[in-house]
Amino acid sequence: MTVDPVTVDPAAFGPSRTRGVIALVEESCTVCMLCARECPDWCIEIDSHTVTLPPDDTHRRPRTDAVLDRFAIDFGLCMYCGICVEVCPFDALHWSPVAEYAATSSDGLIHERGRLVSWEATVPPRSPLDPRAVIDDPGPRRPGVRS
Amino acid sequence: MSALAAAVAAAVPGARSSAGFGPVTVDVPRERWVEALGAAHAAGATFFDLLTAYDDGPTGVAVVAHLATPDLRDHLLLRTPVPAGDPALPTATGVYRGAAWHERETHEMFGVDFPGNDRLDPLLLPVGFGAGPLRKDFVLAARAARPWPGEKDPADSGGRVRRRNLPPGVPVDWPEATP
Repeated sequence: MTVDPVTVDPAAFGPSRTRGVIALVEESCTVCMLCARECPDWCIEIDSHTVTLPPDDTHRRPRTDAVLDRFAIDFGLCMYCGICVEVCPFDALHWSPVAEYAATSSDGLIHERGRLVSWEATVPPRSPLDPRAVIDDPGPRRPGVRS
Repeated sequence: MSALAAAVAAAVPGARSSAGFGPVTVDVPRERWVEALGAAHAAGATFFDLLTAYDDGPTGVAVVAHLATPDLRDHLLLRTPVPAGDPALPTATGVYRGAAWHERETHEMFGVDFPGNDRLDPLLLPVGFGAGPLRKDFVLAARAARPWPGEKDPADSGGRVRRRNLPPGVPVDWPEATP
């Protein structure tokens, strides 16, 4: 029994913070490897390579950029601790409440990049900030801090 | 102090009781284990809750039994050290028959032998597995056999390796350092 991530109603899977499956926003991933290194179960596999970009109008020197080749989470090993979601500095990983992705073999629980990206549609919207936490006027910039 | 613990401490020579955050713990010498269980039973602790063990460092393991009165008004932990060189403890099944299953599990996970209990068949592990997986000196085969996914680094793709990333919590020279 599988669900179509595009048509599923995430609200049918309980509260928005339910830990159902982890979604990947691949545009946000910088291949920093923090999630794979923090994972206690070693269930995240990442492959990547670097490309050298030539100088352009905004960069005066050639620079290297990491390109994501493979991102896979083995939900047969995952213990749903959420450390990878917490540790991601660029919010590339999100919890989705969808929990119906049972498989008939353990290989079927390894979600590759495309499947992880497809879960993004089921991630509930972020709850708004508490009004008291919103700063309208950040005030004078602290000395020595570059923006 | 618990009346049960007081009764056991008085009946068993060499017993020492201490109160922690949980129930009172009575430490008894290994050779007086069955005697202490009998004293607890005679004092009213006829409800056998559990028997298990924990790794107590290089000296060996400690076996713990949780016993209570049937009305659950009083309870105690009975604890005895089992040295690593001779991991054997007389069976508790003569006093509490229900301990058989717990001893089976403790035998499987900690390698403690219980002379007198002849049904120590493994519950989860294959026959002849040997080592006790819940002992701290047990090498996790999955951690040794499988390369750590976090070792990869995007900067290594050009063929140069700047540094070796090591998995947290796993010793550097492991598993060679452990027998």
